[in-house]
Amino acid sequence: MKREKSRKYRILRVLRIASQVAFFGLFLYLFVGAHYTGRDYIGATVQRFFHFDPLLALVTSISARLVFAAFAFALVTTVLTLVLGRVFCGWVCPLGGLHQLASFAFKRAKFLKPPREEKSSLAWKYYILILVLAGAVFGLDLAGYLDPFSFLTRSFAVSVFPGLAYALTGLKNLMYGIGLTSAGRSMSQLLENWTLNETFLQGFAVGLLFLGAVALNVRKERFWCRYLCPTGALLGLLSRWNILKLRIDEEKCIKCGLCTQQCETQASPYPNADWKSGECVYCQTCAAICPTAAIGFPLRWSAEKATNVSNVALSRRRILTTALLGVAAVPLFRLTPVRKRASLKLIRPPGSLPEEKFLAKCVKCGQCMRACPTNGLQPALTEAGPEGLWTPTLVPKIGYCEYYCSLCTQVCPTGAIRKLTIEAKNQVKIGSAWINKNRCIPYTLGKPCIVCEEHCPVSPKAIKFLEVETRLPDGRVVVQKAPVIDLDQCTGCGICENKCPVMDEPAIFVTSVGETRSEKNRLLLPLAEDAAPDPYK
Amino acid sequence: MKRRDFIRDLAVGGAALRWGPSMLAAQASPGAEAPVLAAVEGESPALITKEAVSALGGMTRFVSRGDRVVIKPNIGWDRTPEMAACTNPEVVRTLVELVREAGAKSVTVIDNTTNQAKRCYVRSGIMDAAREAGASVPYVDEARVKRMALKGEWLTEWGIVQDVVEADKIINVPIAKHHSLCRLTMGMKNWLGATGGARNQLHQKLDQAMVDLAAFFKPSLTVLDAYRILVRNGPQGGRVSDTKLVKTVVAATDPVAADAMGASFFDIEPRELLYLRLAQERGLGTFELEKLRIEKRKI
Repeated sequence: MKREKSRKYRILRVLRIASQVAFFGLFLYLFVGAHYTGRDYIGATVQRFFHFDPLLALVTSISARLVFAAFAFALVTTVLTLVLGRVFCGWVCPLGGLHQLASFAFKRAKFLKPPREEKSSLAWKYYILILVLAGAVFGLDLAGYLDPFSFLTRSFAVSVFPGLAYALTGLKNLMYGIGLTSAGRSMSQLLENWTLNETFLQGFAVGLLFLGAVALNVRKERFWCRYLCPTGALLGLLSRWNILKLRIDEEKCIKCGLCTQQCETQASPYPNADWKSGECVYCQTCAAICPTAAIGFPLRWSAEKATNVSNVALSRRRILTTALLGVAAVPLFRLTPVRKRASLKLIRPPGSLPEEKFLAKCVKCGQCMRACPTNGLQPALTEAGPEGLWTPTLVPKIGYCEYYCSLCTQVCPTGAIRKLTIEAKNQVKIGSAWINKNRCIPYTLGKPCIVCEEHCPVSPKAIKFLEVETRLPDGRVVVQKAPVIDLDQCTGCGICENKCPVMDEPAIFVTSVGETRSEKNRLLLPLAEDAAPDPYK
Repeated sequence: MKRRDFIRDLAVGGAALRWGPSMLAAQASPGAEAPVLAAVEGESPALITKEAVSALGGMTRFVSRGDRVVIKPNIGWDRTPEMAACTNPEVVRTLVELVREAGAKSVTVIDNTTNQAKRCYVRSGIMDAAREAGASVPYVDEARVKRMALKGEWLTEWGIVQDVVEADKIINVPIAKHHSLCRLTMGMKNWLGATGGARNQLHQKLDQAMVDLAAFFKPSLTVLDAYRILVRNGPQGGRVSDTKLVKTVVAATDPVAADAMGASFFDIEPRELLYLRLAQERGLGTFELEKLRIEKRKI
């Protein structure tokens, strides 16, 4: 018998790799593009990827009871999957591409040796999907933790790129050290131009999870896509009726089993009847490596047998149990006092929806943290309760909210942070500043300072000063200008806290009270116009 | 020579002949006849800057052929020019042009900003203006801030931006603004933007810090932008109503005199400013303008 690999499918495989590289490149380009470019409004960045994600569209629409218009793009993916199967996973998804690359590298390095036959259950991702959907019905948005775009963007924003920036900074300083000043200078300009933030509270944990997800490819090729990805599961369910069906030419097939062994996603091409259309990502590996070119993907219009939903045995009992688990998880997530009373240090980005809606919409992708020019937006750990893990919170000690910036509101993929113009953003209070007179330099040490007043960006300033008498340890009394806060003007931007020279625990600090978005966490009621008129307006 | 360069040179040369006869005169005998300070009022920030410099004897008096020159404007804040928080970009542009015409090898415009550097550089208009005129406009890199011995009375040593001190000539281009602590921020206060590290701690003895820094940097020329000054909510303002049009540029070889002249735009007696008194005691210059040779023009 003539042995020859299929030229057509080898070309298709190359095209698939090219497509993955292109989409990954596009993802990186858009990801890095989410920074202050010299323009105040930066247009669509990496959030466009999210808009094509049917899982995020479905879950955030259900959990927030609001349909975000941009998610209309998800219909494209849905139709594409209905017609052609999970090509999105195999040809587009940047996280899928990354996992495939890692699997390939691990195989090359012989860390990973695919077993001849793979029996592990593929059901996990479907249960994860059901859990997420059940939670969404009750307004619990868990999609972001394992959604591929959220996962990848968050990992890159909070951990990978900060690590890269750290390394580049080290390299740059080395350049200066060895006298390559101009090279060092170019690198420093690039770092400033791209605003690569370096400091993240959860950077270590998020980074470990990312490394873990990549390392899982040592166990199985595309481990994530096979067992964990809820988006893949949803697309798998949709792909049942697709018209691209794998077909083995029985006359050519020599039953070597190479296709099933090398299948990236355990779709089991051989025997033909066992092939799982819901698992196949159309990577073309099997067709390209088949020694006799027996495998092809002709168009066929017949649907899968109903019992064979992606050929994965999902027991009805388990589906029910998982759904119940998802429902049961809801009260568990809500036992936190955060729902009863606003959290002191939970300062949401300007434009954030009221907390309940915010939690229902935020997919924890960290894109706002990527775009934040001062590194102030940080992933929350406990501040927002268990539901709010990795949601954004402003930590003024690390960075403040830039007065003429609304980038976080522009890059949010789900509308958890409403898009705001800079003028509108500056009407929003995200918190209120307070002075700790026990630590404030003029109040306690009797020395001049009022750095906070200098930096306050609003006009008229929210920080004013009074002449204050301070008794020093030797009994002398000195008079200094000391800051006082005019809460009517304060927007809670936190630059005062950030620039306060009392480094460890700033003498001026911002808490969430007074935030515009909250009905409960208010301070000054807008009931009467009792503020003094501004003489300079 | 490109046509564009030719036309520009022609325009500049024409302007110099039209408005600056004293420039040619001063070049013939620099120093002796030239005033210590020139204040020029007029509609165009570029032309009054040019005129003020030429009144002192022209840029060639301060910059020699082949010099590496640093121009240090105030780009401290993320504000547009009409907020008067940063130096007027046209003033900076004109100085870059003058320095290049004087034959400088390189011109660098730099400041250690308070808000995100890129925002300040862009919104102030200074980055674009200076680049168009042929300057390099780098951001300050914290790794290029080195602790240096200042030999000041209070600041014995502090982190200094190396790009500034490595230059052959420094031109200080502050803007005149209100400041709550030292009352006015002009040329001497502008040196805080050439330092790094925990600058916010300098506020505890700000006047002394300013004098120590001014004694360290020693600019060849100070050009105070008072085209639009900030009269309240300093040093960053935020509304046009916080500013006042004075339409004046002050050029001076005496940095203390430049600040003293600036104070007059706010109707403040130079004597009232502690840092000016300290600076005069230190021998950095004089705030007693009546004792100096001053030229005031209106064009």
